[in-house]
Amino acid sequence: MRRLLKSREALVALLLALLIVATGLVNPNILKFQSLVEILNASLTLVLITLGEMFVILTRGIDVSVGAATGLAAVILGTTLNLGWPVALAVLAALATGILAGAVNAFGITVLRVPPIIMTLGTLGIYRGLMRIITGGSWIENLPQSIKEPNLWSFLGIPFFVWVTLFVLAATAWITLRYRPARYFYAVGDNEQGAYVLGLPVRATQFLAYTLAGLFAALAAVVYTSQIGFVSMNAADGYELKAIAANVLGGVSLTGGAGTPLGAAVGALFMTAVHSMLIFLGVPGIWDNAFAGVILLLVVYVDYRLRKALELQRRHARILGETGVSDG
Amino acid sequence: MFAQRSKGAVICAAAQREAHPWLDIRNQTAFEERGWAVAGPLLELEGVWKVFSGVPVLKGVDFDLAPGEIHALLGGNGSGKSTLMKIIAGVYTMDAGEMRLEGRPVRVDSPHAAHARGIYMVPQEPQIFPHLSLLENLGMGLNEPPEALAERVRPIMEGLEFQADLSEPAAFLSIAQQQLLEIVRGLLRDAKVLIFDEPTSALTFREAEHLFERMRRLTEKGIGIVFISHRLGEVMEVAHRVSVLRDGEMVLRRPTAELTPHDLVRAMLPEATDAEATRDEPAAKGQRRAGAPVLEVENLASEAFTDASFRLYPGEVLGIAGLVGSGRTELAEAIVGLDPYARGRVTVAGRPLLRRGPAEAQRAGLVYVPEDRHAHGIFLDLASLYTISASILPELGRLFLSTTRETEIGRRFVDSLNIKLRSLWQTAGTLSGGNQQKVVLAKALATRPRVVILDEPTRGIDASARRDVYRLIRALTEQGVGVVLISSELEEVVELSDRVLVMHRGRVLGELAGDAITLERVTEASFGNLEVPA
Amino acid sequence: MARFFRSWEFALAVLLVLELLVLGMINPTFYNLENLLYSTLDFMHILFAALPLTLVIITAGIDISGVSIMGLASITLGLSWVAGVNVFVAAGIALLVGVLAGLFNGVFVAKTDVNPLVVTLGTLFMYAGLAQGLPSLLDLLGFKAYGSEGLAAYQYEGITGLPESFIALTEGTIGIVPYPLILVLLFALVLGLLLHRTRFGRYLYLIGVNPEAARYSGVPIVRALVLAYVLSGFGAALAGVMLTSYMTSARADLGGDALLPIITAVVLGGADILGGSGTILGTLLAGTLLGFLRQGLLAMGVTNDLIQVVVGGLLIAAMAAKQLVARLGERRLNRQALSGRRRG
Repeated sequence: MRRLLKSREALVALLLALLIVATGLVNPNILKFQSLVEILNASLTLVLITLGEMFVILTRGIDVSVGAATGLAAVILGTTLNLGWPVALAVLAALATGILAGAVNAFGITVLRVPPIIMTLGTLGIYRGLMRIITGGSWIENLPQSIKEPNLWSFLGIPFFVWVTLFVLAATAWITLRYRPARYFYAVGDNEQGAYVLGLPVRATQFLAYTLAGLFAALAAVVYTSQIGFVSMNAADGYELKAIAANVLGGVSLTGGAGTPLGAAVGALFMTAVHSMLIFLGVPGIWDNAFAGVILLLVVYVDYRLRKALELQRRHARILGETGVSDG
Repeated sequence: MFAQRSKGAVICAAAQREAHPWLDIRNQTAFEERGWAVAGPLLELEGVWKVFSGVPVLKGVDFDLAPGEIHALLGGNGSGKSTLMKIIAGVYTMDAGEMRLEGRPVRVDSPHAAHARGIYMVPQEPQIFPHLSLLENLGMGLNEPPEALAERVRPIMEGLEFQADLSEPAAFLSIAQQQLLEIVRGLLRDAKVLIFDEPTSALTFREAEHLFERMRRLTEKGIGIVFISHRLGEVMEVAHRVSVLRDGEMVLRRPTAELTPHDLVRAMLPEATDAEATRDEPAAKGQRRAGAPVLEVENLASEAFTDASFRLYPGEVLGIAGLVGSGRTELAEAIVGLDPYARGRVTVAGRPLLRRGPAEAQRAGLVYVPEDRHAHGIFLDLASLYTISASILPELGRLFLSTTRETEIGRRFVDSLNIKLRSLWQTAGTLSGGNQQKVVLAKALATRPRVVILDEPTRGIDASARRDVYRLIRALTEQGVGVVLISSELEEVVELSDRVLVMHRGRVLGELAGDAITLERVTEASFGNLEVPA
Repeated sequence: MARFFRSWEFALAVLLVLELLVLGMINPTFYNLENLLYSTLDFMHILFAALPLTLVIITAGIDISGVSIMGLASITLGLSWVAGVNVFVAAGIALLVGVLAGLFNGVFVAKTDVNPLVVTLGTLFMYAGLAQGLPSLLDLLGFKAYGSEGLAAYQYEGITGLPESFIALTEGTIGIVPYPLILVLLFALVLGLLLHRTRFGRYLYLIGVNPEAARYSGVPIVRALVLAYVLSGFGAALAGVMLTSYMTSARADLGGDALLPIITAVVLGGADILGGSGTILGTLLAGTLLGFLRQGLLAMGVTNDLIQVVVGGLLIAAMAAKQLVARLGERRLNRQALSGRRRG
């Protein structure tokens, strides 16, 4: 029981696989290699944003500006490309934008002490507004082929960006598990006071978490721009909420200190796969949101019931155990 | 052995010196050779002030620690010991005063800075990371490879008889194990100054002995240890010097060899007049059991205690004695229905409780004043009046709250409990500890109870507030209210109770009544020995 | 009385007057009372949703699903009307839907330990999805006959042609005061009485400041929380109905971009996102302040995008200032106590 709870990512992955297979019973096309790769490919933007958001949630924070940061980074990428910058430089500019956007959040939260939800809600408005101010409100089109090209590359039949995201995921997973200072994210979220008393750099850790969220949002912007080939003003609109939902779905606890990159990624994959599954089932896309919401609520509810049952079991075990104890 | 010492410290100290030759260190010359006179103090504090929300907690405190010394710091609850230690450890910064480490003035403004200078504190409240493994919990902030850490941890854990899986999440540790975890953390550190804030409150005698052995070995390396404890026996046993804080002022600092436990008790106790205030006509004890019981508890059990049964009669004070962790608070919470997992029967004035929660209990005439005032009792950020009226809002009008009646009730309690506040709308958080406690008491009494369960009613409050609480208890019993009194201050239990229920490790061992209620008997009983000492 | 002049609400009122003076100097139409009152129609839906949200935030909770409830209420109203229900009865059904949506939020939040943000994030998606899918769902259920080509046709373009009597709900005035403004003030009055004069309101503060102490004191936590979320759902639905009348069309995506201004109004109004403080008057004043600011900036030719930046910056600046003032206040208090005691 305890092990089952521990591996929420396995639980959600299993559920996802079951749903895909069930969809396959109605429409076998979804089980084709090409379809599965497409599902994966379509989830990359959200997976990356979700991974960044994960750092923030681990420290018991929240960032509702990541979608806007993605949009802003995409605008910078598109604008610099159209100004004739080489791809590498434009990508660097986009990444720097993301880091800066994250650092602004981090500054407001750790130095000015603005509550995270307020700070990032404010920057959500600011970044979205800036996007339109920079572009004058029009879409960025006619992007050079050089940025669209990587989306066509593939290796072993799997697209380049899937490999990139897998690499990022693996690196994040390895770092959070093995690199000791990365455990600070968990410690700070689990018990901020305790982390402070033990001499951990609490504020620096929080600062880094929000900055990483910005960096990952920018990575997502690069993938997004390359895949879509233009930048609309609604780019990554609402992704902040989806990223939070994906994290919760994947077992990253909003009360901090618990969750893994793999779980976050599986959660994000789930959120986007719902869309693909509905298409294969012939259900109109407008039902996406409803399904995503229902699944999120269902998972957190089941999780709550499981924890309650476990607690009850533990308590009863203790009552019985205590009776037999003698004073030695 | 505690009782022995209270009989005569001289005999006891001599016996101990035989048993532990190292204790000769308390001989002043040896002690000075060891470091004090030679190297000068390791740590010095001078004129330390600390104010919280306008309330001074430390009022110009001096303190020093010699290398190789175990220095006990004593003081009642709320005397400022923990605050002083937190200042040394960088958790709080002092508002005025100076701190010198090895003769040089230092500024320690964060725990990190303290650690960097070799100061480490084992806090009283365990700070665990519930989701992280035990090993990670131990190593957090040490930057040591897990394998090497595990190597160092094992012998320490074995010595403390701390049995737990290093890879399990810390959420599964019991409170006592969490405290052991903190001690292990302290012993792992390479510190010059090591502070233990009540490390033994959840330890068995043997575990505590092991901890002392470890502490002694550390002092041989020249490490200075500050040791906070409520157990005078331990203090006499291990400390070279003792300092006593009272209401934020240092009232005593002397080598242990020159002191008796009695001196310590006298230094810690509030003014002499206060001790008198608790005194009651002894003849009245145990004589109040009249009429039908107002509270009956039958076979109540939860995860923290088992099989508790007792009766309380109108106008009676039933003391519950026991160490921290003996299940006293859990018993009280189960009685009023705060523990949904508890089992058993509770009857208030003949009416069985379904144990649905405090609201139901209050309607039946049973009210609980919780131990943890800040977490469970008071609404710190709101007007004091709002705490006082929190439990009686339904009585203040059908649709709209009657402000007139609310303030009238508030005023009545401010007068009768002698609560000192500028106005009823003063934020509760800016009141002193004693007045906060009175506000919480007012909230409970406003429900016009027949039974009041008081859990540590005098913790962290000053002498005069304490006196008022004692008066209140007496006034309640005169009105025929039954009082259950849970307290770690055993003097209080002894002075006020008609009967004393003794709890030990989750069991009700038995009951003391009448002349059997003496400080020695109650103390003995709290440690699990109910028999008359030979 | 002296307390009032030092209160945040008073500061907001002063700011509001100053704002109108400045805006009027730049653009004299702001000095035209009729115009001024009429322009509140543009942001009344923010107020309808923000006022009851204040109650939720006081409990240290949050409800972000309101923006979806607006759309859900609007499309419910439209579809009911298409199905032949009297438009005012349809509005009643829409409000009922809002109450039920709030009830679901409230029960979920109060009965489980799941973070309110997660719960209402889930319902934000769920209600928005439901609003979008409702037309085709009704088609599937056999109500197709009511629309000429099925109700799904209304999915994207919304339902127009609502009766004049319903449109008059936002066009009508008493004297020069538009109906919706009167309704907002009435709503604020009822909520204000509820929050500041009844035990239910007091429970909300107690829960927000210290939920554990509230539990130990016997406060009916579940009931109080559920009612707060129900009111929030009702307010959002009311906003949706009024906006439908104002826009003269029922749409599923109504109010989608209102989340930021709604929460800004509550927080700027003095409610602490961590619970325990906030007033209805504060939210009303802050919401109005923000609404007129937006109007003024638009009138000055500032683009919507820049306004978004300004509002976001304002929110952050207000919070940062509040934090700073609190920290300085604590420091001053301590310094006073320190110097007083040492001299004494």
